[in-house]
Amino acid sequence: MSVDAIFQSILERKRSDIAPLVQAEIDAGTEISVILNDGLIGAMDVVGRQFGDGLLFVPELLVAAETMKTGLEVLRPKLVGSEITNRGTVVIGTVQGDLHDIGKNLVSMMVEGAGFAVVDLGVDVAPERFLEAAREHRPQVVGLSALLTTSMPAMRRCIELFEDAEIDVKIIVGGAPVNQEYADEIGADGYGSDAPGAVRLIKRLVTET
Amino acid sequence: MLGRYQILSEEEQRIVHDQSVQVLGEVGVKLLSDRALKILGSNGATIDTESQVARIPVEMVEQALETAPKSFTLGGRTPEFDVPLPSPTSGYVLDLGGVFTRDLRTGERRYATLQDNEDAVRVFEQMQHASVVWPHSIAEDTSRASALRATMSTLMNTSMHVQDELEEPADVPFFIETLAAVLGSEDAVRKRKLFSVVYCTLAPLVHEGQMCDAYLDAIEFEVPILIFPMPAAGSTGPGSLFSNVVLGNAEALSSLVLFQMARPGTPLIFGDASGSTEFSSGGFLEGSPEMVLQTGARGEMARFYGLPNTQAGCLTDAKEPGPQAVMEKMLTTLPLVLGGVDMVQGPGALETSGVLCLEQIVVDDEIAGLCERMRAGVDISESKDYSSDIRSVGPGGHFLMQDTTLEACRSDEFFLPQLSDRNTFERWTELGKPDIYGKARERVEEILAAPLNNPLPDETVGNLQEILRRAQVELQ
Repeated sequence: MSVDAIFQSILERKRSDIAPLVQAEIDAGTEISVILNDGLIGAMDVVGRQFGDGLLFVPELLVAAETMKTGLEVLRPKLVGSEITNRGTVVIGTVQGDLHDIGKNLVSMMVEGAGFAVVDLGVDVAPERFLEAAREHRPQVVGLSALLTTSMPAMRRCIELFEDAEIDVKIIVGGAPVNQEYADEIGADGYGSDAPGAVRLIKRLVTET
Repeated sequence: MLGRYQILSEEEQRIVHDQSVQVLGEVGVKLLSDRALKILGSNGATIDTESQVARIPVEMVEQALETAPKSFTLGGRTPEFDVPLPSPTSGYVLDLGGVFTRDLRTGERRYATLQDNEDAVRVFEQMQHASVVWPHSIAEDTSRASALRATMSTLMNTSMHVQDELEEPADVPFFIETLAAVLGSEDAVRKRKLFSVVYCTLAPLVHEGQMCDAYLDAIEFEVPILIFPMPAAGSTGPGSLFSNVVLGNAEALSSLVLFQMARPGTPLIFGDASGSTEFSSGGFLEGSPEMVLQTGARGEMARFYGLPNTQAGCLTDAKEPGPQAVMEKMLTTLPLVLGGVDMVQGPGALETSGVLCLEQIVVDDEIAGLCERMRAGVDISESKDYSSDIRSVGPGGHFLMQDTTLEACRSDEFFLPQLSDRNTFERWTELGKPDIYGKARERVEEILAAPLNNPLPDETVGNLQEILRRAQVELQ
């Protein structure tokens, strides 16, 4: 029944309740995989569906994800050696010449909330830095964000660099000055019109790969 | 005559001020500019070099408020386009900060071109309430000289005051040279103030480095700065209007302190473009009641400090021209006008200031006219006391033929719409059931078919093209 309490604490976003609940369940000898799958991951699947259906707002999604993460931290030492996988890895950053990060941060948090490992490179990220991170972390998707029109060419340069380096990764773009037409023109694999759109796009691209 | 709208009482304005000052002293602001940190540090701020945070004491705020000019004039290319601040009525700033245009012919949403910018400023110049133009962001030109090119195109197509953003210090000499070429001398650039810059802090509490440094250069030429924080309540700012107003006010005061310490007497416009959050996506909203309550409150803060102000308004999140756009633009204009702001920044734009629509420029001018009439209120001065007519007409009869009525029927006492239809159903049907956007479109076409007013001399245009050629090579 306490696994259900863990599940509920995520749905109800009780971020200070979950750690003792998970600990108690470990102490009671419940199988780790049951706590993980039926409690933590199961709850986030429901949260993700509710958000997708427009029933949850962004702050509710983010705090639910944080609650899940808090529970996972308690469980993590027990997971050593067993198979714990993310849905995939995403490298993300605001492109060179641009310091605006709210859109990128939002996408980053929401992608993480959807179960992906996220490597956030921050703002003003040079194309070479994206490439380096892609080689190091082997992501399925690289996300490029921009707010300024003058930083749009940096997206194109980044995609060209990846093409030259023949790195097998999907590159997606987003931000106020960008649209699908521009994404197509520079050879991006996708365009996210807002943060939830970016999450849907990433899920789709990762399923395809 | 009251008829004015006030959001914060004087006591509440004091609370906002006190809290803003506390934020600056305790939390501070992050400046990604060593030059700015040095200026603030040498004037009494506590600097944490590692985190680039400056904590600003109240004395610096008070000193800055003393040296900031309480009035100045944003110059036009000709004096008839001068905009003295503060202003007794609300003027409007064409906001073309977005990158898309709604094509006049096809209705398609596409990237804006330089031609769209020319068309927009020409249409806007003919609007009754127009004051200042912010050129379009031209996505087709992503070169570093793109903003300079758009500003030149604007100067060539209107005599109005121009405002824009500068990205980095290297831009400044080219802009000053451009203005000097138009006005005749660098001295005239200082005196006429034909060009001002927009300074958006990055919420919460961050100043950009390159832009900040560019503006520290520009103020040496007495270029006025519009301080324009835009925290969104619930995402880049706190989830209450009260605290988001405090945050925006603190960001604005930190900018005021920086530029007054750098050059006391720098003309500053104390503006605000706060928004609210679309909680389903995390996006920025500006056609909301919360937006205008905040920018209106920040306009009151500007008057609390005795500073000229521009507030974001006349805005919408609608994707198309139509009912939502008109409803939200009216909602986000009227409180500002009734509150007495100097300038409203937003007309012409749709989709959260992302899309320019030429017809909307004309529709927004009608909204401005309606709001101005509301601000004028009920004039109960002696000149409008027609009670003698009541005595002379007596019970029954009518007032249609009174001298006073004859004069009044074409006076400001009665607003005459340019777009709204007031015909009978039959007449409206005979006229082909005109709607406001259809009429606005006719007006746009008429303006664009007319010759350009007051074009720059060919020689000046040649000089500008030469400056642009150099800028395209040197700005990389």
